[in-house]
Amino acid sequence: MSAAAVRPVDTRPLIVRARRWARANLFSTRANTVLTLVTLLIVGWAVFALLRFVLVSADWTVIEVNRRLLAIGRFPRDEEWRLWPPLWALMIVGAFAFGLWLQVDRRGGVLIAAVLLFLYGYLFEGENALLLAGGMALAVGAYVAARRVRGTPYQSRARVAAVVGLVLVLPLAVVMLQVGDGVRTSAWGGFFLNLMLAALGIGLGFPLGVVLAVGRASSLPVVRWIATAYIEFVRAAPLVAWLFMARFVMPDFLPPVGGLDDTDIISRAILVLAGFTAAYVAEIVRSGLQSVARGQHEAAEALGFNAFQSTSLIVLPQALRAVIPALVGQFISLWKDTTLVFALGLTEFLGAGEATLAQRSFIGREQEVFAFVAFGFWAVAFGMSRLSQRIERGVGVGIR
Amino acid sequence: MSTQPVAPRRRRFLRSQRNRRLAIQAALAAAALLFLLYMVSRALTVDLGLGFLRAPAGFALSNEWMTNHRSTESRLDAYLIGVWNTIRLVVLAIICATVLGVIAGVARLSNNWLVNRLGLVYVETIRNTPVLVQIIFWWLAVFLTMPPIATGRAMFETVWFSNRGIAVPWAAQRGDLAVVWVALLLASVVAAVWVRRRRVRLEDATGQIAHPNRWGALTFLGLAAVTFLATGMPYGIEVPEVLISGANIQRYQGGLTLTPQFAAVFVALTTYTGAFIAEIVRGSIQALPRGQGEAAEALGFTGYQRMTLIILPQALRIMIPALTNQYLNLTKNSSLAIVVGYSELFFVSSIIVNNAGHAVPMFALVIVTYQAMSLLISVGMNALNDRVRLATR
Repeated sequence: MSAAAVRPVDTRPLIVRARRWARANLFSTRANTVLTLVTLLIVGWAVFALLRFVLVSADWTVIEVNRRLLAIGRFPRDEEWRLWPPLWALMIVGAFAFGLWLQVDRRGGVLIAAVLLFLYGYLFEGENALLLAGGMALAVGAYVAARRVRGTPYQSRARVAAVVGLVLVLPLAVVMLQVGDGVRTSAWGGFFLNLMLAALGIGLGFPLGVVLAVGRASSLPVVRWIATAYIEFVRAAPLVAWLFMARFVMPDFLPPVGGLDDTDIISRAILVLAGFTAAYVAEIVRSGLQSVARGQHEAAEALGFNAFQSTSLIVLPQALRAVIPALVGQFISLWKDTTLVFALGLTEFLGAGEATLAQRSFIGREQEVFAFVAFGFWAVAFGMSRLSQRIERGVGVGIR
Repeated sequence: MSTQPVAPRRRRFLRSQRNRRLAIQAALAAAALLFLLYMVSRALTVDLGLGFLRAPAGFALSNEWMTNHRSTESRLDAYLIGVWNTIRLVVLAIICATVLGVIAGVARLSNNWLVNRLGLVYVETIRNTPVLVQIIFWWLAVFLTMPPIATGRAMFETVWFSNRGIAVPWAAQRGDLAVVWVALLLASVVAAVWVRRRRVRLEDATGQIAHPNRWGALTFLGLAAVTFLATGMPYGIEVPEVLISGANIQRYQGGLTLTPQFAAVFVALTTYTGAFIAEIVRGSIQALPRGQGEAAEALGFTGYQRMTLIILPQALRIMIPALTNQYLNLTKNSSLAIVVGYSELFFVSSIIVNNAGHAVPMFALVIVTYQAMSLLISVGMNALNDRVRLATR
């Protein structure tokens, strides 16, 4: 409060302030002036070209007509109801958690409103729009409730509940997709497939990665060797090569137990993504383990903790806290990598985009389609990185 | 819960920490061994030999620079062309991405607001979009939407743009003494290095500025020019033309043609990796003590000198490990060229697997090749790292 209040308020007219700012930041020296003018030329041209494309020359009907294909691929219409409970749960728990730890500032509020209006007005129609609006109303309610809980004695319990809830969204989604007759994974597609691949890749890969990291740092040589061999082996080849292996080679090597040997291609892709992420998560967590002072382990031992207790209760929490930024980076990387299943011929977001170009009325609409696809991926990745920065600042993680 | 009297013999055995450690390891080793045995038993059911590589390929590859593959040549030849194409792509992209990344990273630290923001927008847009989407975008939405070759656009009648690629002027051999000149060129590099070293020594001995870099460059250029003339100008610049013979045969003649496949993958990988390198450069420069820049300023260095002589050499030390990582990522990402059909090694391998099977040995070969390239990069960067460390400490 006080620091902000002390700053002197500049009361000179706006034009004076603007000129001073421009002189300090754009035209301070002659070289700087030249640089500014050249950059201005480039930026001006780029902004003009972009605006002309988005607002004038582009024909966005290809996206509007194919919004369902882009969002969920060829998911059966009768089974769409399965997608709503996990989406609602994600919105409500997400808003609740957001309200418990962070708060919406003016810029964030405007951004969220803009994104939701876009989704609401453009991608959903009919009863889907109503379902989305209902979920959004509940999410706002959850956010307000969370703000109320904040600062009360219930806060810490609410935070535990929020974390548990967030962790449970993924199993809920899987259960909803499987319950009853279920929807075969081959019917998953579009943006939804990318989300599922990323979520399952993180959900399965992260725990395995932590185990591998602890294994690599273990004092037992055999454990260390096995973990190291796995990590180095997986990191030796590009992900797309592993995905091709999953397609061509894996069926020959899976045991014929429980129908594993004819596991469908998407399940195999999930296994590969999880196993791949685990190797990279393991290296990140290992660096976190190395950053925890030896004294922590020794102190735990002195207090009578056994090896498992001291690792899981004392060392790991500190190690994970130290590497949260790097882990988020890895998860963003996984999110971007989910598009690689396109190379296996799956209709994920990029594949769905390409499929729209085969429609006769939309031939030659590459720029619109791929700009939209790029924007979709970008929005999630950028949102994740910004959110993690907010969390880091809000909770003070990443700093030891 | 009743208190236990004396622990049975078995429990006592497990209580000993040494025994327990041994037991855990033995169990895990046994499990790993079983797993390996299972994999081997499975692997034995498939043919692991590489003999199929000797058979004729049966497919032709799009001909990139310096390659000419016919379907009668062996699969091994096709694979080696793939390796060459990967190396060419990766080396060129690494160089360009580093230059782009350093420029963008320095721009991010500029006190010019506009330059600073431009760097930020570049980094945040490119870094948060999948490189595969970018490759496809450049391929389908940029390079293939160029006009057909017959109506292709040209810049000054020398650089041609069309959906067949970009044709640029390139060196073409004219005389017979080309080999001699190239050999002499190498000799003049050696001479230039020698001259430069002498000037450095002179500088160290007398304390006078001796301009070692200028002397070295002039030596090289002078020798190159003299030998070029002496060997009867063995190379000339060849300007590409569009060759139209008949209705269907339209292609570029002469010059160097960048195929749309290569151009798409190259541009995407360069800009993508450049964004990550920019962040590394920025972080490394920010990690330096502020006093370094201020001291250089106090000593009267210009902004450019401050950056190239004081800041970047020191930042280089910090950034090399992270840079190595990015180069390795770029190498692995080059395999994504498969989606546009650029004939790099992974694309060629997948065609071979599609045609002839033998997926296991083929993919094993692919992994070994990538690992070898990664090792080469790591070894080279580690050597650079050692040099930088020695030179400055």
